[in-house]
Amino acid sequence: MGEMQQSTNEMRICVPGNTAELQRVRSFVASKARKSGFSEQGVYNLTLAVDEACSNVIRHAYRHDNSREFCVEIDLEQGQFIVKIFDSGSAFNPLSISAPAMKEYFEKFMRGGLGISIIKKVIDNIEYIPADAKHPFNILKLIKTLDDRSI
Amino acid sequence: MSSFSIEHRLRKPAQILDIKGFLDAHTAPQLETKLESIIREGGYNIVVNFRELDYISSAGLGVFMVFIEEVRNKLGDIKLVSMQPKVFTVFDLLGFPMLFEILEHEDEAIANFRDAGNESENG
Repeated sequence: MGEMQQSTNEMRICVPGNTAELQRVRSFVASKARKSGFSEQGVYNLTLAVDEACSNVIRHAYRHDNSREFCVEIDLEQGQFIVKIFDSGSAFNPLSISAPAMKEYFEKFMRGGLGISIIKKVIDNIEYIPADAKHPFNILKLIKTLDDRSI
Repeated sequence: MSSFSIEHRLRKPAQILDIKGFLDAHTAPQLETKLESIIREGGYNIVVNFRELDYISSAGLGVFMVFIEEVRNKLGDIKLVSMQPKVFTVFDLLGFPMLFEILEHEDEAIANFRDAGNESENG
């Protein structure tokens, strides 16, 4: 994780793989989204999507291993608010998971799997870049266009 | 640190949980433990009051899915009341109003339990 820590700056936060850190990540994302002019609902939705993605990293990629860190970075470019989540765990591509059909979900009192549904509903564009020989981190990109700041 | 707290009241015929703060993957187990203990003691008429809840993620929604089937099998219910609009949005996004009764006021939830004849002493 040294590479991630070296590039720490005000647009990036790195935290241990522990759900206790989610609050800190949310505060970070919310403050940047407010500065970019998102409505309160827009801030909530964006923060929620990042929370869901980070919760998945902690649970699935790191299996609650506190000794591992993940990073969240925000880039503002070409009218887009881009949140990148870097992790060094096993690859977990949310795009490969199909969102549950909610009618069946409720009829069968199913559990789990809702984080992905939330991300897909509130984020405009999602990209996933698994780690490879050149890039040691999995990167999930959540992209919100800035003309869509109200929702 | 996530801040989350639960207060438990009896308002016959229901058990009321006032939840406050932030309900996420870190704090959801607290709510799960509390609901579990109420249900184990025979409380099947449950109202969760969201008035002071500022944030919920899918981990929070998941807690209600854990217990709703069992509680309804016992002819009780988990009714959700007084959500802030931003919190309701999360439930609505996923279609939770299909399964859960989500009401504006606690009084309505109590009245609905009474109308359904759920007058057990345990709530």
